[in-house]
Amino acid sequence: MLSVENIVKQYAGHTALNDISLTTKKGEIFGLLGPNGAGKTSLIRIINQITGPDSGRVLLGGRELKREDIARIGYLPEERGLYKKMKVYEQVMYFARLKGLTKKEAKERIDMWFEKFEITSWYNKKVEELSKGMAQKIQFIITVLHEPDLLILDEPFSGFDPINAQLIRNEIIELKKKGASILLSTHNMSSVEEICDSIALINQSKMVLKGNLNDIKNEFRSGVYSIQFKGMMFGFANALFADFSLEHSEQIDEDRAIAHVKLLKDNTLNDLLKTIMPVVNIEAVNEIIPSMNDIFLEAVKQKEGGDHV
Amino acid sequence: MSKTGLIIQREYGSRVRKKSFLIITLLVPLIIAGLGFLAMWLSVQETKQVKVLVADPENLCNGKIFVGDNANPPAIFYFYEDYLEPSVFHESGQYDDYDILIGIRKEVITNKSIKVFYRERMSKQTEYYIRDRIELRLEEYFAMDRGITLTEYRRIRQEFNFILENVDPYKTDTEPAQIVGFAISILIFIFILTYAGQVMRGVIEEKTSRVVEIVISSVKPIQLMMGKIIGIGLVGLTQFAIWAVIIGLGLTFIRIFFFQDMVDPSNLADALAPIEGMSPDLLTDQAAAVTRESDLIWIIYNGIPWPTLITLFVLYFMGGYLLYGALFAMIGAAVDSETDSQQVMIPVMLPLMFSYFIGILVIANPNGPAAAWFSQIPFSSPIIMLQLVAADTIEIWQVVLSLTILAGTIILIIWGAAKVYRTGILMYGKKASWKEIFKWMRH
Repeated sequence: MLSVENIVKQYAGHTALNDISLTTKKGEIFGLLGPNGAGKTSLIRIINQITGPDSGRVLLGGRELKREDIARIGYLPEERGLYKKMKVYEQVMYFARLKGLTKKEAKERIDMWFEKFEITSWYNKKVEELSKGMAQKIQFIITVLHEPDLLILDEPFSGFDPINAQLIRNEIIELKKKGASILLSTHNMSSVEEICDSIALINQSKMVLKGNLNDIKNEFRSGVYSIQFKGMMFGFANALFADFSLEHSEQIDEDRAIAHVKLLKDNTLNDLLKTIMPVVNIEAVNEIIPSMNDIFLEAVKQKEGGDHV
Repeated sequence: MSKTGLIIQREYGSRVRKKSFLIITLLVPLIIAGLGFLAMWLSVQETKQVKVLVADPENLCNGKIFVGDNANPPAIFYFYEDYLEPSVFHESGQYDDYDILIGIRKEVITNKSIKVFYRERMSKQTEYYIRDRIELRLEEYFAMDRGITLTEYRRIRQEFNFILENVDPYKTDTEPAQIVGFAISILIFIFILTYAGQVMRGVIEEKTSRVVEIVISSVKPIQLMMGKIIGIGLVGLTQFAIWAVIIGLGLTFIRIFFFQDMVDPSNLADALAPIEGMSPDLLTDQAAAVTRESDLIWIIYNGIPWPTLITLFVLYFMGGYLLYGALFAMIGAAVDSETDSQQVMIPVMLPLMFSYFIGILVIANPNGPAAAWFSQIPFSSPIIMLQLVAADTIEIWQVVLSLTILAGTIILIIWGAAKVYRTGILMYGKKASWKEIFKWMRH
């Protein structure tokens, strides 16, 4: 769907994007992750043709991106605002028409979305009369009204209350099912890991890591399991011996504890269970999955280590 | 509709539907028409009687002048049977009671030339009255001198040439036409400032509310900038058009109902009746002159080339507005809030304010080099030129040249402003310095 190839962008004195490439598929949610200042917004502005890259190119559906393609893109900027003095309906109509919809098309879709969100009573309100959450709903509608093939959402959940955040999350998933490709940018990595299919991690203007989220998570699996048991910690630790290492432990009450155990060598979870079953009563076993934050930190560490070599 | 068209429509629609626009657009012209009426009415009321000293060393007038049966003539004549230099008249203090000095020298018989020195420019009405009386008296003299009747003399007569001069050679006169021209200059200055200011506020509003991000993901920054400038400019033109219509109707109404006798030549026969024996063609000739009972009224209804001025107002307003509007849009994009804009605005406000002050100087001297230069420089020409056109001290080629220079400058300024605008609107949280603005322009 969207292909970004070797984008470089420099501003006076610093490089905002250094050879960034990524590809999103149709019907997928792609997470563009990275801390503040990593270059996410610069990349999004280039995809939106708000600014141009110094080198590299952007393809949409296999063809180089053109000015007309903006009708196929829906953009929810991080810094979002509306005309305060303008009435809600007029405003949504204005932006819909700027995206190339006819008056009739726009009207039908506005009615559809406003009925869906049950906010038709806002039509004649001025934006300044709306709460922040209400305004954000309007902004979301403006972003998706022209049924774009590619949705670019910059920090979409920031500023939303939990109820609205859930509502928007559901809508995003709905749009994905309809075949839209969604590029979701955020610095809050944990907020998106459950809905992203693929991710790209950017740090200090460079690509750190990219790919299918599950593959990445597998790749960064550490082989650490959390085991809750009843019995003596001393016996438990002794039983592990040289095939496993005890990473962390905590006592829940007098004779119960949770231990984080890492598999060493070629040992499997089965081997671990066989080893400890004779010593303690196992109550629960869970794999410790690294969070996106952990993966990010680990990937940055690896990358930097690699750069130094 | 094109995207720029949609932006123009929004900018225009959102402004003309405001209550404040409606109120100002309807109220101001009514006030102007009202004040205009007041000024015209007062100008009719206060006809000052002037004292004219006729220096007649040859005693051609024989100390007499025919004043008719006018109970309250605009001028009273006194005679002095010797030469009197205007400098003496002006400086000695002895003649301070007299307002006007007329020198009738021996040469008048051959060159028909009469010099009139005034301390303060008299009204046209007074001027024509004086000319009329002096002419009549001298004609009598010439007719008698040649032994023919006055009627016969009138058939073969030559026009007298009255040369009006201020008795103070260093003093220049301000014609009412120039004052009207200056008023139009002020109007264009206010229009440019108001509407260019609106462009800046609009840009700042879009930038600070961040709505610009959404807009420019749909349109190019230059489309947004030009859409805004054109939309707001059309609001200005709409306002001007409504003002012109209301003021025009108001003046027509005033003319029909209050000053009809002054503009209708058929009403003038009575005014001229006391002068006996005047031939009919001479009567119509003089009718136009006597119409000028009040200079102001005459100027407003006959002396100002309104269609030309209105056309040029529209052209120069558009020119000046596009020039300053683009600069103000650039500043709006470069700053982060309206309070920040003050300092950055100074270099742009200076030429505008400067033009205004030049405008004041030009009233006194519409023929001077300042007028010629500043009516060509594009940053001041929209404000200065109309004044010169109203005073009729300018050639058509100068107007065309000035408009051409203005148009060329506008293209350059818009080109530069668009570059700054493009970069500036997405720079949040900092105020750009002029150094940075120039850097963006070169980028």
